[in-house]
Amino acid sequence: MATRLESKTLPYGVGHLTVAWYVVTAFLLAILALGLYAYSRQLGEGEIVTGMRDIGTMGGAPWGIYIAFVVYFVGVSFAGITIAGMVRLLNLEHLRPIARMAELLTVITLVLGAFSILADVGQPLRALINLPRYARPMSPFFGTFTLVIAGYLFASLVYLYLAGRRDAAIMARQDTRFGWLYRLWAAGYTDTPEERERHRRTTFWLALGILPLLLTAHSTLGFVFGLQAGRPGWFSALQAPAFVVLAGVSGTGLMIVIAAILRRALGATRELSIGVFRWLSNFLMVLTAAYLYFMVVEWLVSVYAAPSAEARVAAAVFRGDYAWIYWLSAVALVASFVILFVQYAARNHNLALAVIAGLLVNLAAIGKRYEIVIPSQTHGTLLPYGEGLYRPSWVEYSVILGLIALGVLLYMLFMKVFPIIEAPESGEVA
Amino acid sequence: MARYAMVIDLDRCVGCRACMEACKVENNTPEAAFWMYVFRLEEGEFPNTKLSFLPRPCMHCDNPPCVKVCPVGARYKRVDGLVATDWDRCIGCRFCEVSCPYGVNYFNWKSPKMNYYLEWGDPTVQQATNGAIPPYKNPDLDRAYGPEQRRIAGSGHLKGIIEKCTFCAHRVEVGLDPACVVNCPAFALIFGDLDDPESEVSRLIREKRTWRLLEEHGTEPRVYYVGGAPPSTEAHQIEAVKARV
Repeated sequence: MATRLESKTLPYGVGHLTVAWYVVTAFLLAILALGLYAYSRQLGEGEIVTGMRDIGTMGGAPWGIYIAFVVYFVGVSFAGITIAGMVRLLNLEHLRPIARMAELLTVITLVLGAFSILADVGQPLRALINLPRYARPMSPFFGTFTLVIAGYLFASLVYLYLAGRRDAAIMARQDTRFGWLYRLWAAGYTDTPEERERHRRTTFWLALGILPLLLTAHSTLGFVFGLQAGRPGWFSALQAPAFVVLAGVSGTGLMIVIAAILRRALGATRELSIGVFRWLSNFLMVLTAAYLYFMVVEWLVSVYAAPSAEARVAAAVFRGDYAWIYWLSAVALVASFVILFVQYAARNHNLALAVIAGLLVNLAAIGKRYEIVIPSQTHGTLLPYGEGLYRPSWVEYSVILGLIALGVLLYMLFMKVFPIIEAPESGEVA
Repeated sequence: MARYAMVIDLDRCVGCRACMEACKVENNTPEAAFWMYVFRLEEGEFPNTKLSFLPRPCMHCDNPPCVKVCPVGARYKRVDGLVATDWDRCIGCRFCEVSCPYGVNYFNWKSPKMNYYLEWGDPTVQQATNGAIPPYKNPDLDRAYGPEQRRIAGSGHLKGIIEKCTFCAHRVEVGLDPACVVNCPAFALIFGDLDDPESEVSRLIREKRTWRLLEEHGTEPRVYYVGGAPPSTEAHQIEAVKARV
């Protein structure tokens, strides 16, 4: 199934389309089509087709899994640019092979986050126009949409672009069907020592600029919930920092999974050595420990002597309708911490176990996002409305699955037109 | 400029829910939306039970959490104190709804012609209603109101946006009281101008002991209650409306 003869010489499977690739793509396209169909139903009939309903007399939750996944997707984007930025800032040379994977993960998950917001709002076209046009920085939504999309996504794209120019220049020297793309991307860059030095400096400062932007953007997403005094269970100073840490947990976990898959698929055992996974695993271990600490603090505060409304939400989360999700998430987090800690202590890193830990923390992150968003709406009313109920509908599940499929698809497409692993410094093509 | 407020005399309220009905008729609110809602509450154990009623319009807070969080300024506070929703600008993110501790916001989950018990697009319905203007197209409620000239009145205009009690901005503008106030058979609801010391709301607030709902949350509601007491944590609803679209 190789396309053109010269494509075989391109690194990391670029331009090389295998049967497996086609099969997976077709499968993802089918899921994406299902998501689009579900969304078209929602556009036509209104959000009555979702499981969301109004707080109060309707006894529902007006924010459902769309918002939970906005939070999850934007959370995952955290680790991408953090790792890529740290590679530049701290000169972590051995992590360089995963830098582009991380940048791409950030860009794609941010796009998915934006799409989830659009899936959630009742008037998506208005949202696209009015959010920038009437932007109000006073609203925490400014942080999640305007700042994240306009600032953070744009900065990440510029970063991905700049960091990729050298590879584009190298690729442009070969005669391939994507030659035009590489020449466009390289945009005159020829990889002379001066250019290389200028690029190094630019990406360094850009990385330095993105890191505070990243912290701000992720904190504001926590503030969407943390600033709402009228919603028991949300109003907490812990939301913003806990959000940032869980973002790191889910993002680093997904990074391990992606790197492991690519190591297998591309046979890149030399570049993606066990050392890369050791670093990621240890980073994930520290973040997971920090988040477990947050969870204990959160649990203690909400059960020890909480006001009645807080206690009601806590009861729903810890022993009521939502308990099974909460405790499964907690068990998954503890289990991955144990796996990672044992590996760290034994100084013996097993790839399969690291991947299991990465998957577990992501399931836990999704569960925790759900627990943050939903119970405070259904069980956190301050007037005696009674308990509410939220069950996601097939439309919501399909849209979310469609978005995940879209993300994987974009990732796989990118890999086929551009090397997902940076060419090593010495890897000159004369 | 007036400073509008409402006083609800719980010693007078008989819990008849006529205000809810009046609101639905006046504002054409969609199915299962209750801009004005009356809690019928019960506390205690038989035989020592206590029944109470609590009408709940929008509180038109002076420190409104919903206005703070609106990302596009569709929810805004007017100079006269009304908290209004510009349905021409709302994007339907429902942030106002989750931020409101009173649960007064309603989202249009369905498209207007499906949102009023009948299928208004259906030819047989049009025939049966003799070509009447559908409730969501009421021309009175379609106009721009207030000094800002923004479209804030009425309900059900569009799917995918948020609406709530407007204190009948379209009636207040022409010097009328909100529909719930004029339809209360027990005169339990009183509407007026706080800047006018002779108005009945000013007099009641001056002379009677008043309280406001969830006052401790710092929302500074413009709705004052006279008599009764805030619902205790033991209070639970009886005869709740079963209204989930």
